[in-house]
Order: sequence, then C-alpha cells, then structure tokens
Amino acid sequence: MERVLIANRGEIAIRIMKACQDLGLDYVMIYTKEDQNSLHVKLAEQNQKDRKRLFRVSSYRDPNDLFEVADITSSTAIHPGYGFIAEDYRVARRAVTRERPIKFIGPRWQVLKDFGNKINTKKIASALGIPSIPGSEGPIYNEMEAEDIAVRLFEMQQEQGIPNPSILIKPSTGGGGMGIEEVVHIDQFRRIYRQVRNYSKRQFGDEGVLIEQYIKNVNHIEVQLVCSQHKEIVHCGTRNCTIQTGRRQKRIEVAPGLDFSQAYKFDPQRILETIISYSIRMARYVDYDSLGTWEWLVTKEGTPYLLEVNPRIQVENAVSSRITTFKNRASSINLIREQIRLALGDKLGYKQNDLSFKGVSIEFRIVAEDTKRGFIPWSGCISNFQLPTYSWLDVYTHVPNTEPYVIPSEYDPNLALAVVWGETFKEAKERGLKFLSEAIIEGENGYGDPVTTNIEFLKNNIDNLCRYNYSGCH
Amino acid sequence: MEAEKRFLNLENRILYLIDIKGDNIYPGFFELKAKADKLKKNFYQLSSGEILSEMESLEEMLAFYEIKAERDLTPMEIARIVRNPQRFTLRDILDNVYDDYSELGGAGDCNIDPAIVVARADISRKIGNRIYSHQVMVIGHEKGKGEEFRNGGSAKPWGNEKALRYMKVAETEGIPIHIYISTPGAYPIEDYPGSAQQIARNLYEMTKLKVPIISVISEGGSGGAEAIGLSDMRLMLSHGYYSVISPEGAAAIEGKIPEGKKAPKELIDFCAEQLKITAQDSLSLGVVDRIIPEPPLGARKEDDGFFRRLRYEMLRATDEVVLSTKTFRTLRAYSVKRRRKMPIEGEFDVDIRWELSHKERMRLLRLRSKKYRSMGTRFFVDLRHPFKKFMDKASSGLRYFYTEVYFDLLKKHKRSVEKVIEEVSQEGTIALAPIKNPFKSIYTFIKDRFPRRVLRPIDHRLPVNAVADFGEIYVSPLANEDRVITCPNSHTHGCLDLWVPDLYGDLHGVCPNCGHHFPLEYQWYLKTLFDKGSVREFNSHIGSTNSIGYKGFDRKIQGDQKKTKRKSAIITFLARINGIELVVAMLYSNFRNGTVGAAEGEKFVLACDHARALKLPLLAYVHATGGIRIHEGTVGVVQMPKCTMAVREYIDAGGLYIVVYDNNSYAGPVASFLGCSPYQFAIKSSNIGFAGPRVIRETTGEDIPPDYHRADNALKRGHIQGIWDRRTFRKNLYMALLTMGGKNLYYR
Repeated sequence: MERVLIANRGEIAIRIMKACQDLGLDYVMIYTKEDQNSLHVKLAEQNQKDRKRLFRVSSYRDPNDLFEVADITSSTAIHPGYGFIAEDYRVARRAVTRERPIKFIGPRWQVLKDFGNKINTKKIASALGIPSIPGSEGPIYNEMEAEDIAVRLFEMQQEQGIPNPSILIKPSTGGGGMGIEEVVHIDQFRRIYRQVRNYSKRQFGDEGVLIEQYIKNVNHIEVQLVCSQHKEIVHCGTRNCTIQTGRRQKRIEVAPGLDFSQAYKFDPQRILETIISYSIRMARYVDYDSLGTWEWLVTKEGTPYLLEVNPRIQVENAVSSRITTFKNRASSINLIREQIRLALGDKLGYKQNDLSFKGVSIEFRIVAEDTKRGFIPWSGCISNFQLPTYSWLDVYTHVPNTEPYVIPSEYDPNLALAVVWGETFKEAKERGLKFLSEAIIEGENGYGDPVTTNIEFLKNNIDNLCRYNYSGCH
Repeated sequence: MEAEKRFLNLENRILYLIDIKGDNIYPGFFELKAKADKLKKNFYQLSSGEILSEMESLEEMLAFYEIKAERDLTPMEIARIVRNPQRFTLRDILDNVYDDYSELGGAGDCNIDPAIVVARADISRKIGNRIYSHQVMVIGHEKGKGEEFRNGGSAKPWGNEKALRYMKVAETEGIPIHIYISTPGAYPIEDYPGSAQQIARNLYEMTKLKVPIISVISEGGSGGAEAIGLSDMRLMLSHGYYSVISPEGAAAIEGKIPEGKKAPKELIDFCAEQLKITAQDSLSLGVVDRIIPEPPLGARKEDDGFFRRLRYEMLRATDEVVLSTKTFRTLRAYSVKRRRKMPIEGEFDVDIRWELSHKERMRLLRLRSKKYRSMGTRFFVDLRHPFKKFMDKASSGLRYFYTEVYFDLLKKHKRSVEKVIEEVSQEGTIALAPIKNPFKSIYTFIKDRFPRRVLRPIDHRLPVNAVADFGEIYVSPLANEDRVITCPNSHTHGCLDLWVPDLYGDLHGVCPNCGHHFPLEYQWYLKTLFDKGSVREFNSHIGSTNSIGYKGFDRKIQGDQKKTKRKSAIITFLARINGIELVVAMLYSNFRNGTVGAAEGEKFVLACDHARALKLPLLAYVHATGGIRIHEGTVGVVQMPKCTMAVREYIDAGGLYIVVYDNNSYAGPVASFLGCSPYQFAIKSSNIGFAGPRVIRETTGEDIPPDYHRADNALKRGHIQGIWDRRTFRKNLYMALLTMGGKNLYYR
C-alpha cells in the first residue's frame, strides 16, 4: 500500500489529498503552528479515525522534519506540491538515496537540478536550436566581458528597429526576480552592473550576473506537458498567464493560450503549435519523466522565447485540466492525479490522439492584497467568506466558510482559486465577471480596517486577457 | 667585613647549586648546607681564625661539588641555569662588553616593550697601544633583575617591531648588529602587529639586511628567538639552551597533560634531553656556528673574565663575517684565524674596518642565503635511485635553461624594443594632433551617419566556474553517511540541520544559510581547485626522518607514512588554474598535524626555487599546520629562517606568492614563511594565530574569547588581506593570479 506524505499546505494540500483518495492511496498531512486553523488541517483531522494522519512540523521547508514524519508513518512517497521544497533537487535526491528511500512525486532529481539553473536551461535550449532570450549564456564575472555583451545587445536591438531598447542584469544565482535591474542606456551600464554584482555577492555569495535583452510587450504563454517514466509524452495544451501583479505574480490564467477570435500580427494557431513542439523536443531530450510546464514569452510580432521550465505541478494546473478531455470517456483529465500515478511508475494509458480540448477556462486567484499600493499583502481575520456555486465553477480554497479565519502572516495571503469554464472566451469572461461580482469576502484587521482583496483588479483585467499593448505586458 | 662578604658569596653559591640541581642534589650536599647554616648562626660567636678555617673547608667541599655538578650537568639543569636570577642579563653585557652605549626607545618601564632593549654602542679593541672603537647596534632581550615589567624577556609584537625598526637604522648607517637572544618565547598575543606576523616580517627583512649580523644565544626560546635571530654568525653560550619549545611545554603535549596539571618531572627531564637543547647539541646539529665557553655552572653577573671573553668573541665574529665578504682577504683572515688558538682575549694584530662596499654587501647576502639554505639538509631522506636523481636534475635543468633563454634573453629584449616604439609613437601622436584633428572630426561625422551593419554573435566564452564544472564532481568520503549535522550557528542564524551527503557533496561543506565552513579533507582541494588532471607532484620522494634521534619518534613517523601513503607533511606540485600553471606547496593535517621539519622545509625551499626558475606563481595552501615539529627540535626551528630566505628570494625575483590558510594554522610556519607573504588570505571559518588558547592562558594568565583566532578577527587586526569562500576559492585564486604579483611571471 502506497502512502503519500503531503509536504505542503493550503488548497494544494487539499487537492493532493483528494487525488490520493480518488486513487485509493493512503496519505499523511503536515501543518505548522501558524496553519492550525487552515481547512487542510481540519479535513485531515476528520479523516484520521483509523490511524493518525496529521503531524505538526516546525516548517514546510525543513527536510529533516519531513523525512522524520515520513519514517514514523512509513510513507512511501512524498508530494511536494508547489513552492517550498518542490524544486529543491537536494530534497528529491535525499528522498531517493537515503537508507529508507521514498519516491519523490516529481521529476528525477537530475532533471530538477538541470532546470533549477537558469543558465543550464538556456544551454540545453540553444543546443537544441530552441530560441531563448538573447544574452549571456553563463554567469559573467568580468566587467569588460559584461560590457561587451551589453553593447552588442543594444546594437542588436537597434538593428532590429526596437524602440526604447533595454537590457536586464540579473544575479546568476537566486530567483524570484530578486535584484533584477533594467539598463536603458549603455552609459548606465557599469554603475548598474556593479550594483547588481554587489547585491548578488551580498545576497547569494556569488558575483556572477546574467545579462539579457529586455523583451517588452509580450504574452506569457506556457505549455503543459505530461510525461511518464516510460518515455511517453503528451501535452495538455497551453495557458496564458500574462496578467500579473507588479511583482510578476500571476493573477489570472486562461486556457487555451491565445484567443483565436482576436486579431494578432501572427498566426496564433501556428505559434502555439511551435512552442508545443519545442517543449516536447526539449522534454524528450532530457528524458523528462513527470508533469512539467515550459514557460514562453511571445512578442507582439510572434517571436517565441523560452523563459524557463517549471518541473512541478503549478497553481494554475486546473485550467488545463478543465479543457483537456478524454475523447472516449467524456471526462476531463486531473493533472494532480496523473502526477501521482505517473510518479508511482504507472504508464500513461492513452495517447495524444485520445485527448481533445473543449472550451475556455479562466482561473482567478483571489488574494488579500492592496492592488493600489504595490500589491502589499493584507493580514487580518476573515469573518465572512461566501463564494457562489455553479456547475461551470470550481473553487479551491483552504479558508473555512463556517468560522472566522486568521490569515497567517508567515505565508502568502492567497484566499481561493476560482476556475470558471465557458464554451467560448466571451462566455467564460461573462461567467468570470458574474462570479467575481457575487463573491462575498468580509473581515478586518487589528486596526479595524476592512479586508482589501484583489477582486476589483481581477474584474478590470478580464478584458486584457490574451491581448497585447496594455500596461501589464511589461 | 671581608669575611662577611666572603661568606655571603659562599652562601649564594650553595643556593645557586641547589637551584640548579633541583631534586637531583647530591645527598652529601645537605651536610655541607647544614655546616654552612651552622656557621651562619654562630658567625659572630666564633673567632676570625675559626671562621676562616671553617670557610676554607666549606669552599673546598663546595668546589668539589661544583666540579662534579658541572661534569654531569643535564639539559634540564642547563635550562635552570639560564633561568636563574643570578645569571647575567643584557644590561650586564652592555655595561661590561661595550665601552659606551645609549639605549634607544626606552628607559626602564617607560618603553614600548621593556622586554626588548636597543642600544647604540661602542665596542673597542687594543692594537699595540692604540684603541680602536667600532659603532654597533645592540639589540636583545632584557630579562631584568626582579623587574616584573620586563616580562622575563618575552617580547610583545610591538617589541619585535621596535627591534626591526632599529635594525633598519643600522642598515641605513651601515653598522653591524649584535644580537643577544635571551627569551623563553614570544608573548603570544594577536594584537596588531601580531606575534606571528611580526616575527615573519622580521625574518623577511633580516634575510636581506645589508649589514653583518652576529647573534648570541643564551636562552633561545623558539619563535621568540627567531624573531631577532637570523644572522651571519650564530654564536651560542656554552651554558645556554636553544629549543623549539620549553621542556615543560613539550612534556605537556607528549604526556597529553590536561590543562592546569603539571607534567611529571621525569617526563620533563626526558623531553629536555630528547629535544637536544644544549650548546653542544646545537653545534653538532649545525644550527649554531660556534660555542662561547662560560665558567663552570654558567656565567653570572660578576664573572668579569666571561665578559672579556665575550667582547673578544664578538669582535672576532664580526671580523670574520666582514672578512668573508672581501675578495682580497687571505692575510687578514689568517690573522683572525690564528686568534682562535689563543685561550682568551689578546691583542689584535690589525684593525678591520666594518664598513662594506656595495659589492661586499651583495656577497654578504649571498653567503647568508647559502648558510641558511644548507641548514638541516642532512636531516631528511631522498629515496630516489641515483640514476633517477640524475635524470630529474637534467630534465629540470633543461627546462630552467629554456625559461631563461626564452624569457630573460628574448622576451626582455623584445619588451624593451616595444617600449621604445610605443614611446616614440605616443610622442608622434601628440605632435601630429593639430594637423590630424580636423580630418578626424570629418571622418567621425561621416562614420556616424552610416553606422556599421555587422552583427556580431554573442560571446559564448566559458566563464570561470566557482567550483569545477557541472560535470562529475569529487565527492568527499565524509558524504557516505545517512545522517544530519547541526550547524554551529543554528542558534544565531536559524540554520536547518544539514544532511551529510548534501553537506559534503555539492554544498562543498558549507552551510548554505550562514556560510559556516565545515572542514574538508585535503584531497578535496587537490581534486576541485585545479584544472582536471593538471596536478603533477614533485619531490614526493623527500621524506621526514627522526632527525634528532628523538626516542620513540621513528614509530610515529612510520605510522603516519603508512596512514597517509606520503613521506612528509607537505605536498609540492605543479598544477593549472584555467590554464595558468603554478607551483603549489600544500601543508596538510593528516601527517603529524601538518608540522614542519627538515624534509618539509627543504621541499618548500625547492618549490620556491622551482617557481622562481620557471617564472611561475607560487601558492602556499595551508590545509592545516600545527607549527614546527617539536620532535625535530632546533632543526625544525631553523626551517623558519631557511624557508623565509627562499620566499624572499622568490618574491624579490618578481614572483607572486599567495598564502591561503584553512582550518587551523598556528605557530612557526605562520611566524615565518607563511606570515611574510604580502598576499595572505584565509578560508572562511579558519583559525590563524601564533599560539593556541591553552598556551595563551598559561603564559598571559588571561582567557581569550573562542573566536580569538578566527579569520574575520585576523582580518580585523590586519594580519591577512581577505577572506575567501571555499566555493569561490578557484575563482578568487584565478583573479589573484591575473591581478597580483610581480612582473616576472611567465604569463605576463
């Protein structure tokens, strides 16, 4: 009997739990002190009549605690969810190489390691002739060399007639957009280069930086791949995640990746097919063996650039699940269930031809944040949380609707994911607006200020879906 | 009155003998003591005749015991003679050997360091009826007579700095330096300029000080002695001692005595004997040049004859050093040599002037270099077949010759021609500017209107990776364990426990949260620091031996040789970093805790010479060093000046000498050939210092904080130039090779 340790919190923990139940697998849930009122804890509590399934740990990030729980409960697999340890190849490696090995629900650790490194991803891409963002192919330590690259990037943009050319300097280690600076003129380069280099040295202990062309006015489109350990690869279409906060956090995702009813300067069908085939080529090359997302930037002119590979389940997996249906079973796919099943060694059991795509699905991330003040998180107590129910709507949340819930300040103030579906873009957007208008979220913080959420922001941006030339396209 | 004085003297002699013999005092001696006590008690009841006869018999008995004591003097007893308060001090020498002197930089306790006394002094000789006097700089340790502030002649870092300053004054003024060493050891504190670092600086400067230096050892306590001991002529007093460590210290280490407890007397005596600390031992080990005889049981303050002898010996030694630099010296040398047969000071035939010409100074330095380089060369084994030895010599000789021809003859010439061309063309540019400028501006104007349309591809040059490549990496055998380690900083930095295979695998033994460095074995550095497969070891056949015949040490050496499969505590090799070839000398902890003896010193010197001949940069990577190997006694100690000599000559030849400390680096090596480098770096979390916490507590009586020797404190005190992260060691080293060092490197 397989037993899955769910090493995450909130809505994803609940979704993994349900997937385990569907597959007939046992599971173990963990939580931290701050999360004791979360729904994921309450659901797990209810389900431990026959045996203990809920354990408190000091942190979701501490692999020592996780493996301790795994050993006590004799778990056979660990599901990292997203965030925390999901992309930490060391944890994945430790899981499978320790004296009592545990299956890591995700790709092999070697693959995690390769894709965890921006530079290496770029190297693999260019070896396969897949376009990635022009710039340095490795960390630069030498100022002269750095300037040389910057000069050429500016020249190249001028030759392509790009208005307002600019480049980005990023620390070569680290992530999450930390320390990235823009350079709009070569004369600023040295000053900003040194600034980023010093930041990187202070923050990550390494002076290396990456220099890239800053590609503007793009759509952020991603390709969902499902791969098994038996060299089988299928895709579940594309998603568009261009609508993000000022800090590059996704807020609305839509599948499919482009709206064919809109006018583009390029053939949208062909572009989506191109990035899907590039993604599959790369997955095949590295012998990818789990779920994964290939993220692309597509310019207004229709040039795609590989941004990065996310070797894990993503928050927005449900929009792809919703529109991907089995031709002969008339049911849609469940990506989390597939991920667990494949990690335990199953074969896919179907081919690309068995899948078809039906309709449009939009996901709204409802977050307690102040969208007018730089998206700063709001913390306080949610006293009333009522979301409507419809047949075309799925809601994933860890906020209980029967009792007040205090948002822990240690974690992101995500409240719910709402996934709507419609036959067409038009219908999906209308249903989305309907849902957002009916959602009731009330509460206040210690100062008596009412809760601020991003619902207005989501409403205002529905019309920007899959479009170019608006402020959100960077 | 006369009788009282005579009795007082008698009593002093009795007490002195008791002090020196300690527990080994002859049983019959107590009878003598009792008689003397009785005489003292009844002194005023007895008639002068009775006193006189009684005293005569006592003196006779005492003389008998004194002769007996002198005959079977043990090394530990010699140590007690040297430490006895009745022994003369530097002040007595200044009063009796020199005619006139003025102390510089100190009066009593009003002094930056009263343990070191510096004086400008006159020393004179009589030839016929004329008196000739010479100016010298006298520098030495002053133990003082009951003067607490003198610290028993234990010099603080700034005391040694003062000594160096006045040595340079002597150099400027061209007068010889007379040095009197009488110290139990240097005061082990790290405050700027730092014990170890200052000794290293002194040695570094003294290797090429352009005046004759004569030193006399009375109490030669290891590093403290070396701080001012590098000289052209090393004299030793017959009742002095010269040692790598005090017999008590050696006993504490040998017997693993816990702090606060005393080592058993037998063990101390054993160590004193095994360390070969006497004058006769030092002479036969070749670490001193000559012995100055003292009266039986050692010279005391009132031994006028001894001071006359000392004056004569100092004059003669200085003469000899000066004459050795002269080309035309046969007759005068003969005259000096003849004196050697004279029992005691006599008249000199000629006056030898002590000023040296430029050429003579150069010869002086050459001779000094030769003298130190030959020290200890008898005390290691070379296990090569004679034919192999010959072939090795021939092949390196060929390479040296090639380097010399290519760089010194061809390249130097080319460079100077280029320089001339460059200068001429620059002059020309300036002269032509007024004519050229109008055309140039037109050209620029046109060029800007039609910009180039060439698209150059983005450069894909490989960067310097912090540690090796993404490919296979060397994994420490420490990683083969499924367990976790707690970072020592976890309570302050909140570090998570580290899984051992990760920590010693791709985390390179560094806590990813706080950057604490866990120790790694030396092989890790061999495998990851240098270009793959570029490490080529040389002189691996030179091995350590039991150089001074320390009882029971053969077994220890053999044990370590078996354990490490190496012959000494230093590995010297050629390697490359991103294509740049360099010479590396690596002291590692597994062999006698990285201590330095004759074999290690010789290998280090050979590495310096190899680097110099081939114009390669030189890296001394100190995985760990516990100091000078105490089992090699003074043969080990002289490796300090010897290796510093080689380093100095390497640096002067325009090389690049980088020292990187890791884990724990202490004592002698840091206080000489490591500490003298202008580029010293430490790996994070390492310790650098002169003496360990225990020695500091025992000598200074003060406790030190646990991070006293930490790299960041060493940096704060100005002892090192920077702290390197192990993960960026390779990159930093590469940058150092490119940007630091002299002009005589093959890749420049």
